[in-house]
Amino acid sequence: MSWRSRAAATALALCAVLAGCSEGDGSSSVGGKVVLRYTWWGNPDRAARTQEAVDLFEKKNPGIEVQTSFSGYDAYKQKLATQAAGGDAPDVMQLDYRMIDQYASGGVLMDFAKQQGALDTGEFDKGLLATGKVDGKQYAIPQARGTETVVYDTEQWKASGVEPPRQGWTWSEWADAMRALAEKTGKPGATDPGQSEDAFEIWLRGQGKALYTKDRKLGFTADDLARWWTFTDKLRREGAVSSAEQTTQIDGTVENTPLGRGTALSDTNWDAPSSGYLAIIPSGVTLAPMPAGEDGTPGQYFKPSMFMGVAADASHPKESVRLVDFMLNDAEAAKILGATRGIPVNETLRDAIAPELKDFDKTVYDFQASVEGKLNAPPQAPPSGDSALQTTFQRDYDQVSYERMSPREAAENYITEAKAELRS
Amino acid sequence: MTTTQLPTAAEPRRVEVPKKPPRRQREGAAWVFLSPWVLGACVLTLLPMAVSFYLSFTDYDLFNSPNWVGLRNYTQMFTEDPRYWRSVGATLMYVVIAVPLQLALALVVALALKNMKHGRAFYRSAFYAPSLLGASMSIALVWRAIFNDGGTVDNLFGTGGWVNKPGWALFAVALLTVWQFGAPMVIFLAGLQQIPGELYEAAEVDGASRWRQFLSITVPMLSPVIFFNLVLQTIQAFQVFTPAFAVSAGKGGPADSTLFYTLYLYDRGFVASHMGYASAMAWVLLIAIGAITAVLFRTSRSWVFYASEGDR
Amino acid sequence: MTTTTSTPAVRKPIAWRRVALHAGCLAALLVMLYPLAWLLATSLKPATEVIASLDLLPSKLEWSNYKTALDGVNDVSVTQLLTNSLLIAGGAVIGNVISCSLAAYAFARLRFRFRGPLFAFMIATIMLPHHAVLIPQYIIFNQLGMVNTYWPLILPKFLATEAFFVFLIVQFMRGLPRELEEAARIDGCGPFRSFFSVILPLTRPALITTAIFTFIWTWNDFFTQLIYLFSPEKFTLTLALRSFVDASSTSAFGPMFAMSVIALLPIVLFFLAFQRFLVEGMANSGIKG
Repeated sequence: MSWRSRAAATALALCAVLAGCSEGDGSSSVGGKVVLRYTWWGNPDRAARTQEAVDLFEKKNPGIEVQTSFSGYDAYKQKLATQAAGGDAPDVMQLDYRMIDQYASGGVLMDFAKQQGALDTGEFDKGLLATGKVDGKQYAIPQARGTETVVYDTEQWKASGVEPPRQGWTWSEWADAMRALAEKTGKPGATDPGQSEDAFEIWLRGQGKALYTKDRKLGFTADDLARWWTFTDKLRREGAVSSAEQTTQIDGTVENTPLGRGTALSDTNWDAPSSGYLAIIPSGVTLAPMPAGEDGTPGQYFKPSMFMGVAADASHPKESVRLVDFMLNDAEAAKILGATRGIPVNETLRDAIAPELKDFDKTVYDFQASVEGKLNAPPQAPPSGDSALQTTFQRDYDQVSYERMSPREAAENYITEAKAELRS
Repeated sequence: MTTTQLPTAAEPRRVEVPKKPPRRQREGAAWVFLSPWVLGACVLTLLPMAVSFYLSFTDYDLFNSPNWVGLRNYTQMFTEDPRYWRSVGATLMYVVIAVPLQLALALVVALALKNMKHGRAFYRSAFYAPSLLGASMSIALVWRAIFNDGGTVDNLFGTGGWVNKPGWALFAVALLTVWQFGAPMVIFLAGLQQIPGELYEAAEVDGASRWRQFLSITVPMLSPVIFFNLVLQTIQAFQVFTPAFAVSAGKGGPADSTLFYTLYLYDRGFVASHMGYASAMAWVLLIAIGAITAVLFRTSRSWVFYASEGDR
Repeated sequence: MTTTTSTPAVRKPIAWRRVALHAGCLAALLVMLYPLAWLLATSLKPATEVIASLDLLPSKLEWSNYKTALDGVNDVSVTQLLTNSLLIAGGAVIGNVISCSLAAYAFARLRFRFRGPLFAFMIATIMLPHHAVLIPQYIIFNQLGMVNTYWPLILPKFLATEAFFVFLIVQFMRGLPRELEEAARIDGCGPFRSFFSVILPLTRPALITTAIFTFIWTWNDFFTQLIYLFSPEKFTLTLALRSFVDASSTSAFGPMFAMSVIALLPIVLFFLAFQRFLVEGMANSGIKG
């Protein structure tokens, strides 16, 4: 009995350590100045531009000092999770679509309604703004938007003589094009989209379905997934899309996609990151819309590429929201930032910076303009289990593409895992 | 100060020692030496370990307060998670391949360098060079280039790519570890340095062959260090993380073939936010490694020789 | 640097053996150093070839990779990053050598109650994957107000938390004959004197090994630095080189490779400087006068 009570006492003490340590964060005002911590992910170019904008903010708000920090995406995710778990989340943070549900329901994020008036969202698209809501509360503000695209090697596609993609093409037209490309060039037409949860979502939406229902359950059945994987698996076996050995090397960078390695002619990717292809394919790439459902229902949508959120226990919530407002709505800041985080969400600013966009930023802007008004509203932020499921999706499809499981078996596996993930 | 001469282990010399100080005084001295370690162990090691042990019985998800779930994490791991068992299999395979290869290579190179008259410093540095890198992102990219389709290994031996084939990727990752054999090599070299030259001189006088000297001087005198390397490399191999994380870009692919134990643990804990489950995994690993290490320590009594205990 | 042996013809069999040994070592080195050559070559490749090209040599030398890397990251100069890295690695070396040798001496040469169980506990601490204790440790350092300082990276080393090195030094100390201290005791040395003037000099190879490994491993320890350092001006070279690669935007692999080569230089120098002492080890310190 005695060890039990001792264990219970220890556990209690540890709980106290874990739960009760979020307060008492000193050092938030130095020499009468309010000090904010602001973190984001990105590359050195984004860091330089963000720093410039932050400097401008400090100049306009002499009483506030902003400490900034950044790292690459994967490192950022890990660091932010540790900070949040340790009760030490930065005051202002950049968030991904997949983080919002988790961080909001875990009490890390502040409801922007608490600082009404400090942030102006009048210039934001209502549908896009709603993606930052969890249970009706605005926990995050979209900062920029992106959309998926079929990005292809312009010259090689042209040389093959296959008809180029057009607005509103369907998945079966896409598949035919891939087959034709493979036949003409001897190279697979595209990355095998079977491994991508994002591509599956677009295919699903093209049939009027969704990845998740409104109450955060799975929005599709094993039948749907088995059909998708049978479709992509068949294309892979025909050589119309990349082989398992090529597909498995995808690591999130454009350099390691089959298109980046020069072993396929196209890729399905987000629009802004596709700029990386320009360095590898000097002759140029073209952005084409994603295929639609067979009846023409568009599957792709404008997804907020990143959000800004404020910590629930921020020591200076008002100033934090002011920084968010500045980054999203200030005309000068928008000029400095350009499209480094994607095309801005503030519609006035978007039009204002349009003439100044250069190179690939312009390409992305034009591509987004070409599908503007033709897409359906984005879904709400995915449930917190989704960040794990994204990897699970890829792992289960590995079993299909390496021919260790049939599409049906793998799909049923996935559904079991997904249900367990969403339950907890 | 007087000159302290090194006695040889082969013929221990008994010295008349004056009265030892009282036991309590010696105990006190020991705790003075231990004090930094005790402080660190209590605050920075024991406390976090206790917390993680407690968390292994909860549903802790990094963001919300943990709820007690009893043994659920453990039963789920053993009965409902096929990927868990795949990670156990991959890890065992890795340990069996990487540890013996790395230690054998390190020992052979250290012995070759030991008797070398010229260029020893050069060779030692050059053989250590790969280990300076760690498993960084740049070396992972290099590794992928070398072991890819059309990469160096494919061109030379026509093997095709390794990093992208489920049966071969693990081997490529193990080779990365074996390649960085510098740490055990340096430890072996340091151990060889410590063997008194008098022992070999005496053996030479007795006309013992090189092989004989190796078996009856080098091996026993080096055995504490061999044992150290064996235990530590085994423990570290069970926890292999960075090489696989870097080479497979964090996925443990292709088809889960390099999804090692700690890689899956990290995936569960930080990607899926099931920190309770990840903690349970960590404690199962601790118990498994602990059992294996205990066996190694048990066997060490019969083959590890300590000069300080040689006469007892 | 390589030495070719020229031996008088009289000692032919031994010369043959030496030539074979050198030939074997050089052949092994050729294989071993190939990936390093690749790393070096890649740091000079133009962007189009960094990942896609499977040739060792770049088509043209792209020195701008180094120029970008030397510009530093986000207003923080390379000198600053280098200083930070050196500060952390240097502090860690001092901490580990002092604290681990103290603890090791107690475990290896002194008798005290619970020695066996405590030693077992120490070994057990390296068996728990560090990801499992990351968050509790973070909470502790956050409570101590040490996040975004170098303390979480250096303080643990002064408290002998790296059981690897304690165990390493213990093994070396146990290899020393017990008569050493007994002789010292005849001279009237207490445990402190015999530790400093008898045991410590004789454990020098192990201490040098500890210093070298601590320096290199601390230098390359991306993970801990990432978690505990917030302000870019406190960043290290290891952190900075990773920031060239971001999966969600455009990566700069060329400068990243250049930065890895730059970050490699200090540890190469450190290793070259200290590895000399490994040789001397016993030869110089065997006899204390």
